[in-house]
Amino acid sequence: MADLSMAQAVVEAAKYIGAGVAMGIGAIGPAIGEGHIGQGAMESMGRQPEMVGTLTTRMLLSQAVAESTGLYALLIAFMILLF
Amino acid sequence: MKVSFSRGEKIFLTLFLIVYAGVAIWNFGKISFPEGIGKVWQVHVPLPSLLGTLNPITVIMTVVIMSILIYMAVSFKRHLSKIPSKKQAAIEIILSFVYDLVEDVIPVKEFVKPTFYVSMTLFLFIWFSNLLGGIPGISVGVSSHHLVLNLFTDTWPSPTGDLNTNVTYAVMVLFISHIFAIKLKGFKNWMKGFIDPNPIMLPMNIIGELAKPVSHSLRLFGNIAGGGIMVLMLSYLAKYTIVPMVLWGFFGFFVGTIQAFVFSMLAIAYISVQLEQ
Repeated sequence: MADLSMAQAVVEAAKYIGAGVAMGIGAIGPAIGEGHIGQGAMESMGRQPEMVGTLTTRMLLSQAVAESTGLYALLIAFMILLF
Repeated sequence: MKVSFSRGEKIFLTLFLIVYAGVAIWNFGKISFPEGIGKVWQVHVPLPSLLGTLNPITVIMTVVIMSILIYMAVSFKRHLSKIPSKKQAAIEIILSFVYDLVEDVIPVKEFVKPTFYVSMTLFLFIWFSNLLGGIPGISVGVSSHHLVLNLFTDTWPSPTGDLNTNVTYAVMVLFISHIFAIKLKGFKNWMKGFIDPNPIMLPMNIIGELAKPVSHSLRLFGNIAGGGIMVLMLSYLAKYTIVPMVLWGFFGFFVGTIQAFVFSMLAIAYISVQLEQ
């Protein structure tokens, strides 16, 4: 770490910035999507309280699917950092 | 719910907590950052290039989980009875839950059972291997030159944390869905499905089919492997005190169960899309 040339130092810095930006921007989409799913589930639970069990399962399922793009961002961030 | 402990359990818990806290205080500031995060132990065998690399941990854990599942299945079959025991009732609940889902989704009746076998097997295997990611155990890490044995600082290495396992299952689901479609519709009608609205859409349809296993496998891999790396980093920051247990519980048990369920549900959905006429 001690004796890096200027170019190497810039590359090191860019790695960390890149990983942070990838994760930060990549988390926006899944966040909005999961918010919409949660909103829909809550509204329908309020309308039909007897369906809570089924709706919770389906909500978790579709949130897990919506989350996957965020996980791609996480993978890319780790790949930038570690390799 | 009221939780009560016997005297022996109380003594054991107190001793355990004292030892745990003592080790945590002893280790504070001493533990170095875990080396070789994200690297996998690989062995090269003299075979043609694509087949020549092995991940021994994945192979070992896969065989272990398979033998556990086979043993459980055989002993379950031997102790079947009309009046179910607790264990039999639990297994029956899981099986019938998935069977009802399959029956709802699959439009053709004679393909309900084969689809159930495929998705239930996938679910059980992936669920068990994800649960291993929530239990502290022995794993092998790679530092710059040699192998490191991690004793109980990390979880058991789960086979689904390796992309090879997940791609295998995702490609298997793709092939199975198309084989079912050929069996149901005949070869000519199956080929017609690719030029569905008009022949211009042919490349789109092919790319759409090929993108299925990619997202299917990477979703599971990202959850398990990403969760594992995140737990390692956070538990290093907390010096392996209290925090790892919470995170292992969350990532191993909660996320693991949901992702295993999602994987098998998506397998059912991909098969049912191909079976629509």
